[in-house]
Amino acid sequence: MALRQIRIYGDEKLKKVCRPVQMMTPRTKMLIKDMLDTMYDSNGVGLAAPQVGILKRIVVIDIGDEHGAYVLINPEILETSGEQTGQEGCLSLPGQAGMVTRPNYVKVKALDEDMNEIVVEGEELLARAICHECDHLEGIMYVEKVEGDLFEVTDEPEEEPEEDEEVQ
Amino acid sequence: MTKPVNLREISLGVMMEITEEEAYSHVVLRETLEKYQYLEKRDRAFISRLVEGTLEHMIQIDYIIEQFSNVPVYNMKPLIRNLLRISVYQLKYMDSVPDSAVCNEAVKLAQKKGFYNLKGFVNGVLRNTARRLSQVRYPDPEEEPLHYLSVKYSFPIWMINKWVEQFGYEMTERICRDSHMGRGTVVRCNLAKASVEEIMQDLVSQGISVRRHPYLDYALEIANYNFIGSVSAFRKGWIQVQDISSMLVSEIAAPNWGDYCIDVCAAPGGKSLHIAEKLMGSGYVEARDISERKVRMMQENIERTGAINIRAMRMDATVLDEESRGRADIVLADVPCSGFGVIRKKQDIKYKMSEKQQQDIIRLQRRILVNVQEYVRPGGTLVYSTCTIGADENQCNIKWFLENFPFRLESIDPYICDALKSRTTAGGYIQLLPGVHQSDGFFIARLRKL
Repeated sequence: MALRQIRIYGDEKLKKVCRPVQMMTPRTKMLIKDMLDTMYDSNGVGLAAPQVGILKRIVVIDIGDEHGAYVLINPEILETSGEQTGQEGCLSLPGQAGMVTRPNYVKVKALDEDMNEIVVEGEELLARAICHECDHLEGIMYVEKVEGDLFEVTDEPEEEPEEDEEVQ
Repeated sequence: MTKPVNLREISLGVMMEITEEEAYSHVVLRETLEKYQYLEKRDRAFISRLVEGTLEHMIQIDYIIEQFSNVPVYNMKPLIRNLLRISVYQLKYMDSVPDSAVCNEAVKLAQKKGFYNLKGFVNGVLRNTARRLSQVRYPDPEEEPLHYLSVKYSFPIWMINKWVEQFGYEMTERICRDSHMGRGTVVRCNLAKASVEEIMQDLVSQGISVRRHPYLDYALEIANYNFIGSVSAFRKGWIQVQDISSMLVSEIAAPNWGDYCIDVCAAPGGKSLHIAEKLMGSGYVEARDISERKVRMMQENIERTGAINIRAMRMDATVLDEESRGRADIVLADVPCSGFGVIRKKQDIKYKMSEKQQQDIIRLQRRILVNVQEYVRPGGTLVYSTCTIGADENQCNIKWFLENFPFRLESIDPYICDALKSRTTAGGYIQLLPGVHQSDGFFIARLRKL
């Protein structure tokens, strides 16, 4: 497992428009794996390549449902509908969050890790995460879309797994 | 993107503090909602409902869990036990949450909290509960009447036993049932600032439903408002949130023009302010309580209502204040108590109190009485009150008090409406019972110093 350093809000890389991925290389495969590791390690639900300083159109998402991880390369939003307003935070701006309105439904076209075309549909949290991560590829942070002020948030501490768990 | 706040995880944390660390539900909930004040109203309401509802039905919920678990609830890991409780509450009482979501969220939370190998256990218990909830067999009212009450209304069996002995079975059931009834908030009109009619008009113009309370003409029951701070009549100091039972204390104290009154356990100050209002600016009320925080809270209330003949001060009622000896025309002793009369508002009381703790409380009540009876001038009045039901902290304390100190009970009939009059009120005290009276459970006695 290799963790990459997450760029913090203000970093020039986070303001750039990213380049499409032309072909899958071992280097890109490694990048995707590192992005997943980094996302899980920081307890995130999504991460875009520019957040680890690479200006490629790649995002990873895992909202903790049965599907597990989505890897979206060169994602293109085809369709949106509805509206949801809720709290949103970003790994590039730790400890803060704000209210952002997003579509409640999103349909996105992308390439998977083997460069096959896939279509993903998402509602609620998944739709929000897709929008949030795709914005990163255009150099856009959620703070530009926040309604009202940002606010401090405290993470609930994760408990360490207990050793010697007796069976109940 | 970061993980959004998990409302069930927050609620679970609150439950852990209340059930495993002895914290008070209203305090933990208030602090938690302050911490997460950025959450939407809907999310905040979900947390309150889940925590309060789980506490309200906890004995019944534990009974259900034990139908589907081979491990008794008290033997489970605290986190797993509380996770199952909030989940079963959602299954049984929250129609808006699909069963599958309840199970999935619980399994994820178990894993997140480090109980990876108990995922299967949590999943099994909850899926079985979801599937067979309607087939659960509850204790039979004919065969096990006490156990039936305990599980149906979530009251500990020792409490049921005690009440059945004192009030009879049917009355006990009424008391238990009432603790699950929602009711409006009772407020007292501050007649020094506005008339009841003006206040009612002001409330109605804000879209609040208002009903006059049958026991007192300046008491109103209000409903359909967001939170009290947003009610204009409240901000103007026209109304004070106070249960009718607590207003009756000041009625029964019946202060005369110029009286000096000491309220020895005054916070949050409702009764003291009420007396100050009745004195119409004359006399003086000393609102005492033990902690700095409580005194500050009273000061805020005093400022909001603009009363000038009242002062909040920090003083411990268990320590004799020589200065006050024989000086007060009226002493209010609204002593700390087990709180069985207000379980409807503070559901965790029924799990926190034990018979032994109740004995400690009775000792404390008597220690306070020993001191504060000294403050009453000869011929002056002592009003003893508790927000609990049952003879131990009420009639028995009065009996003990009369045997030891030069006081006599005095009829309270001149101060109360006909609906409340009874043999005991003519004798000098009233026990208000939830489910019988339109008020919290409460006890008030009027004593005159000889």
